[in-house]
This record gives sequence, C-alpha cells and structure tokens, in this order.
Amino acid sequence: MTATDTVATTLADRPIDYEPTWRAYIRLYGTLMRTSIAQQFQYRTANYLYMIGMIAEPVVYLVVWQTIAEAQGGEVGGYTAGTFAAYYIVWTLVRNMNIVFTPFGWEERIREGQLSAQLVLPVHPIHYDLGSFAGWKVVVIALWLPIAGVLALVFRPTLDPTAGQIVAFAVAIWGAYLIRSLFLWLLGMLTFFTTRVTAIFEAYFAAELLLSGRLIPMALMPEWVQTLAMFLPFESTFGFPITALVGPITQEELVVGLLLQLFWIVVGAVAVRFAWRGAVKHYTAVSG
Amino acid sequence: MPSDAAVITTGLRKVFRVPVREAGLAAATRSLVRREHRDVVAVGGVDLRIEPGEVVGFLGPNGAGKTTTLKMLSGLLHPTSGTVRVLGHEPFRRERDYLRRMTLVMGNRNQLQWDLPALDSFELSRAIYRLPEDLFLRQRDELIDLLDLGALVDKPVRNLSLGERMKAEIANSLLHRPEILFLDEPTLGLDVTMQRRIRSFLADYNRRHGASVMLTTHYMADVEALCKRVIVIHHGAILFDGALTDLSEQFAAHKTLVVTLERPTDPSSWSRYGDVVASTPTRATLRVGREATAAVVASILSDHDVRDLTVEDPPIDEVIELAFASAEAPS
Amino acid sequence: MSPVDPASASASEPRRGSSLRIPLLHLRVGVMNELQYRANFAVQLLQTFVQVATGLIALALIFDHTTDLNGWTRPQLIVVLGMYNVVGGMIGFAIEPNMGRLMADVRLGTFDYVLTKPVDAQLLASAREFRLWRLTDVAVGIGVTIWGVVQLDDGLSLGRLVGFVAATTVGIVLVYCIWLVVTTGAFWIVRMDMVQDLFTGMYRAGQYPVTVYPAWLRLTMTYLVPVGFAVTVPAESLTGRLTWERVVLTVVFLVVALGVTRLVWRLGTKHYAGASA
Repeated sequence: MTATDTVATTLADRPIDYEPTWRAYIRLYGTLMRTSIAQQFQYRTANYLYMIGMIAEPVVYLVVWQTIAEAQGGEVGGYTAGTFAAYYIVWTLVRNMNIVFTPFGWEERIREGQLSAQLVLPVHPIHYDLGSFAGWKVVVIALWLPIAGVLALVFRPTLDPTAGQIVAFAVAIWGAYLIRSLFLWLLGMLTFFTTRVTAIFEAYFAAELLLSGRLIPMALMPEWVQTLAMFLPFESTFGFPITALVGPITQEELVVGLLLQLFWIVVGAVAVRFAWRGAVKHYTAVSG
Repeated sequence: MPSDAAVITTGLRKVFRVPVREAGLAAATRSLVRREHRDVVAVGGVDLRIEPGEVVGFLGPNGAGKTTTLKMLSGLLHPTSGTVRVLGHEPFRRERDYLRRMTLVMGNRNQLQWDLPALDSFELSRAIYRLPEDLFLRQRDELIDLLDLGALVDKPVRNLSLGERMKAEIANSLLHRPEILFLDEPTLGLDVTMQRRIRSFLADYNRRHGASVMLTTHYMADVEALCKRVIVIHHGAILFDGALTDLSEQFAAHKTLVVTLERPTDPSSWSRYGDVVASTPTRATLRVGREATAAVVASILSDHDVRDLTVEDPPIDEVIELAFASAEAPS
Repeated sequence: MSPVDPASASASEPRRGSSLRIPLLHLRVGVMNELQYRANFAVQLLQTFVQVATGLIALALIFDHTTDLNGWTRPQLIVVLGMYNVVGGMIGFAIEPNMGRLMADVRLGTFDYVLTKPVDAQLLASAREFRLWRLTDVAVGIGVTIWGVVQLDDGLSLGRLVGFVAATTVGIVLVYCIWLVVTTGAFWIVRMDMVQDLFTGMYRAGQYPVTVYPAWLRLTMTYLVPVGFAVTVPAESLTGRLTWERVVLTVVFLVVALGVTRLVWRLGTKHYAGASA
C-alpha cells in the first residue's frame, strides 16, 4: 500500500489556502445572483405572465379607491385618484421585490432532500435564498419597467418625488426584501416542528395583508390599526417603501422608516440564527 | 485515542421514535389525543475504524442502517449514543472546517443548477468552498478530464442524460478536494457502461488523491471493482467487516464445481459427488461443501477423463444473501 | 383496494344515462378519498374564513369612506362577495383540479389513457378530480350571499331567485368553457401552467362588480375571464339590476362558448394524437 501512503501525505501536505471570508461572501453572492439572473431570464415569458397575473390585485384596489375618491369630490384621506394610482403602481414593484422563498416550500425542501444536501455544505443555507432571490429581483425590476409604463398610461399617477425620496426608496425596497426574507424563513422553520403549518401561514398572510399597507394605504386605516402596525414588521415591507416614493412623507419620516427597517433586519437576523440552530438540532435528531 | 484514522466510531447508535399507527378511524382518533411511540433501532452500536485512503463498501439490504450510518458520519444525523470522529471532527457539530474536507453524494439527488451549464454550478461550488483560483481551476480541469466531461459542461444540465448528469454531479462534489467521500448509491439507475465509467473514475481518483471512500451500493460489480474491504450491515449491526475475499470464506458453505468430460457418462451418477445444479452426459455443475471440495475434486479426477474443471466461490450477491440469511436464523 | 368497485356501482345503477355515470363515479371516489383527510377540511375552513373576513374588512374600509361604490350599496356588494366565493369554490371544487390534471397528463403523455377509454374524452377529462373541501367556500359564500340579501331594502321575488339560479349555473359553465379552451392550449404549447396563474390572478377582480371597472378591464373580466358573467350577473339578478338585454347576451354567449370549446377541444385532441403517434 505504498501508493496510498505517499498520496495520503500529499493531501495533508497541501493544505488549501482558503479565500478570506469577506471575499468568499462577495463571490458567493455574486455567483448566486449571476446564476439566478441567467436562470430567470430563461423563464422570462413565464415570469411575465406571472407578473401580469399579479397586476389584477392592485388594479382592483386601485380602481375601487379611485372610484371612491372621485365620488368624494376628488380626495379620500389625503389621497387623490392620481396619488392612489401612484401608490398602487409602485405597489406592484414593491410586491415583486418582496416575493421571497415561501414558507410553504420548506415541506418539499425537507421531503426532497434538498435540505440535507445544503446541510453538508460549509455555508448557511439562507445565503442561497438571499443571493438567488436577489438575482431574480434584478430580472423582475427589468421586466417591471414596461408594465409600470403601461399602468402609468392607463391610470395617470401623480408622482413627484424628491431626490432624497428616490434614494430612500431604492434602499427601502431592498430593506423590504431582506425583512420579508428573514421573517418568512422564520415562519417556514415551523415546518421542522409540526406538520400543521398551513393554518399558521394563512393567518400570518392575512395579518400581513391588513397591517402592511398592501390592501390599502395605512393612512386610510382606523387609528388603532395604524398604532398596532407600528409594532409589527409588516409595514416596513410594504407601506413604508411605497410611501417613501409616493409621499406624503417628511425627511425625518424617511430616516425613521429606514432605521426601523434596519431594526427589523437585526431582529429578523438574530431570530433566524437562533431558530435555525433549534431547527437543525431537531432535524438531525429525528430525520436527517 | 489515535486520531490518524479517517473514521473512528465506537458504539455508534441511532434510535428513532416513530408514532405507532393502527388502522381504522377509532385508532386514528385515539392517536390525536395520545400518541403512542415505538423505538426503532436503526443503527445499534457500530464500531468502525477506516484508515486514510481506504475504499470501503457498505452493504446491506434496504433499511439495514447504511444510509443512517452515512448520515451520522456526514453530520446530517446526531447519534443517539456512542462516539464518532471523522478526520478528527465530530460530524454532528457541522463545523465549517469539517464540511470543507468531506463530501456526500447521494445518487438520486441533484445539486446542480438544472437550467444552467454545469460550469456555472462549479463556480458556485468554488464560492461555497472558498477555493483559491489556481486550485479550483486545476481541480476542475482534472475532473473534467478524468470524467470525460469536456463536451458536456457547457450544456444546460437538464439536457444531459442521467449518467452524464451523475458524472457532472460527482465532479461538482469533488472540486474542493475532499479527504473523505461518502457515496450513497452513486451508480443507482445508470446503465452498465456508465456504471463502469464511474467505478473506474472512483478507483483512479482514490489512487491519485488518497482520499478515503465509503460507498453504499446495491451493485456487486461496484464492490468487486472498488472495495478491498467490505462492511456488511444488517438490522443496524455489523455482520462482517473484512476483505471481500474473506466474505465467501465466512458465509458460503459451498463452492461450485463445473466439470466437463471427454466422454459421456450416466447423468444420474453425478449425485454421488454433491448437489447437482445442472447436468448433461458430458457436463455438470455441482454444489459441494466447502470442506469437502478438495476430496470431491480428487475423486472426480480419478473416476473420469476430465477435459476441464473449475472451482468457484458463489457469486458475491449470493454470498451476501447467505450472510443475511445466517443473521436471520439465530445459530 | 379501491373504495368503489366500478363493476358493482354500474350494476346497481343500470339505467342511468351512461355518459354521466363515469363523472359521478369519479366524484364518489374523490369524495371517499378526501373524507380520509379530515385535517384538510379544518385547514380549508380556516382559509375560507380568512378569505371572507378580509373581503368583509375591505368592504368595511370602503364604506368607512363612502356610502356607495359606483351605485352599488353595501348589502349589494356583500351579495357580490358571497357570489365570488360561491363561484370560486365551484371552480376550486370541480374545474381547477381537472384542468390541472389535464395539463399534467398532456405534459407527461398520460393523456393517452383518457383517449383510449370508450367514453367522450372531453367529459372524462373534465370530471375526474374533485376537491371536496373547497365546497366550504361554496357553503360560506352562500351564507354571505344570504346575509347580504336580507339586508337589501327591496327584498327578493321568486323571479329574481329563478334568474339568480339560472345565471349562476350559466356563469359556472362559462368559466368552465373558457378555462378548458385555455387548458387545451397545452396540446400545442406544453408550458401552460403560467397561463393558469394569470387566470387565477385575474379572477380576483371578481370580488367587486365588473361595472365598477373601466371599460377595457370590464370587457376582459366579462369575456376573457368570465367572472363578470359568473359573479356579477347572478348578483345583479338577486339585487334586481338585471336587464333583458343582459339575459339575451348571456344566453348567446353561452351557446357560442359551448360550441367554440367543443371545436377547440376536437382540434386539440386531434393535434395531440397526430403529434404523439
């Protein structure tokens, strides 16, 4: 067995000079985004049909509220037909930005063994989702522009953001993406512990619909609902990014909103870290 | 404890708690209130020692505990009790340093990006394993060369055949130059040519890099071609651990004799030498007790004018079946 | 062992019209299967309530800020919401599962089994799979509709009720026709599931009467995704808004849709047989 012996020593003799952590993460995210862009671009027709199907929801809200605004003499709760149009058109981009890995997907991920495959890799699996969905977002933004153009022609939005608002919006949509990714990951991890997750997920999404600004601008909600929403992460993922661009919003509110997003990112990241540890512990104890 | 072995386990056990399900609505309703559980021992106290550079075949029927053991070695399962060290690490801690030095390939799992060329997946692996450029390129090109992947790596993976995909899959999981390979059914569902290709690659790879290999398989050809050492596991316990050639010694009580004669003889006369498997007047296949083989051969040679005579161990899968059978019947 | 033995089932009902026997048999098997998964029922019930509750909350928010929506009062909109759930439930119960199965069959080549049965293929393909629990949507939707009707100022006449039942039936058949035509596209273009997504997305607009929408969307909702016919027309008949022109138009559209669907189906299966042979 001399051959084996000599080679064995060469493996030990040639330790790999691993790339430094920061560069490795940049490379990882770069590669994930690049591959995901290439992949999603192949599915651009499917992506387009999906995005167009999604337009129905905000268009329904928009038409209803424009009708009300006109019936009320042009304005409801500070929103005119034009600002409603702006709100719900920007809504379409924000909605696309915050589509992330669905909590319903975990069951399949576990059943099909994708989770096991990821667990033997020396990287936390959340990076795959964050990186590859981020790449998809790039495709989505590109595909969205013409849709927004058509919607703008049809619904005549009133949109007059300041430079500060535009910058804040550009940051806030990625903040929204990150917050929703983290919280839905957290929610999805329930799948490790119980099989009756659908009910919980549905309840979560219903709460999100009402408390995020997805159904209507939060300013139109009763006072107590607005107060309640301030203590939850939902508005940071929907209402805030939209309002950041559409207004009305002050400079201070922009800064506070962005800081609030940062707060929820930290909360989400810490929670995911601990929940993940528990989930893996459970998983390696019972299923593998 | 000497830590230069690639794998050391002592008393490695895995017990699963499974809910007891009875048929019928009444039982189902009852189980909503009070779940009854039953302990199932998947692996029941396994002691293993595998040296660096060894290729070990891990054999056993479905449900014997092969995959559970591999999963404990690769860190996917936490042992219920016992110790396990692989490359000096406790796998279930899933330390990055450990994960970077091992690889797990499951024959029916696809880790490559489906819609993209394999090269893109290789890039992703490079990022995941933090490989420096020169090593990555060297290793990648060597694997492409050894596995004959040159014409395939720039086609979308979905356009590759099952076997081609498996080759790309194997290349992808070896880019980071792992020191230990856990292969769970790497040749599952592949055609014979492709199986042979992958086998010869694994043997070659092991020779070149001295990596330890543990593989489970249902194909005895894999075992015969690759593994000097086999571990047979049954009901979560090791039934046999040793050289492949010793396996027949231990479990096959018989050998097979094939005799061809110069002149015809009465076919009924064969039965005095042993169990007749098949016979014609000039040719017979006999099953003879292992101890009696030499004496039987001698008497056939003295009784007849023999043109040709071979003595064979039974085929390896038959031996393994015998091994399982011997485990079933407590002796 | 299958819960229903086809031989004994047909023996016990020898005189039933043979064309309907097979769908009914499938229905029975589907029901028996789903009865085994009662947990799904609880989940579906919750889903239904969440959906209806959010619909009602949306209405509450609207009427916080206005007294009518383009001439529709609050009880009338509650009727529309109820009907939206009834029709959505019927689609989920009988139409969507069959169309999904058909699409999968065409993609996997198992559609051969449908064509080789000595039954009308369109009928067989349209009535093989049923999701029993989606009927909770129908039940809750009927409840909401009744709740809306009792709040109406001008009550309910027998004529309106008859018109309502007829309009609902016609509406659901129309949805089936158009959905089948879309699905039949799978015979030519294999990836049609995204079109299904599109369709499902558009259906959401049925929560409000189509007359609320601008003309282009109203026409789309009425003729392409005939949720206008399926939800708004029944609701109109309940709330006494239905006109004679609407009735005539609906009947004409139904006849045309049935004919076109049959034609497209024929062409599609012909194309399938030609392509796979």
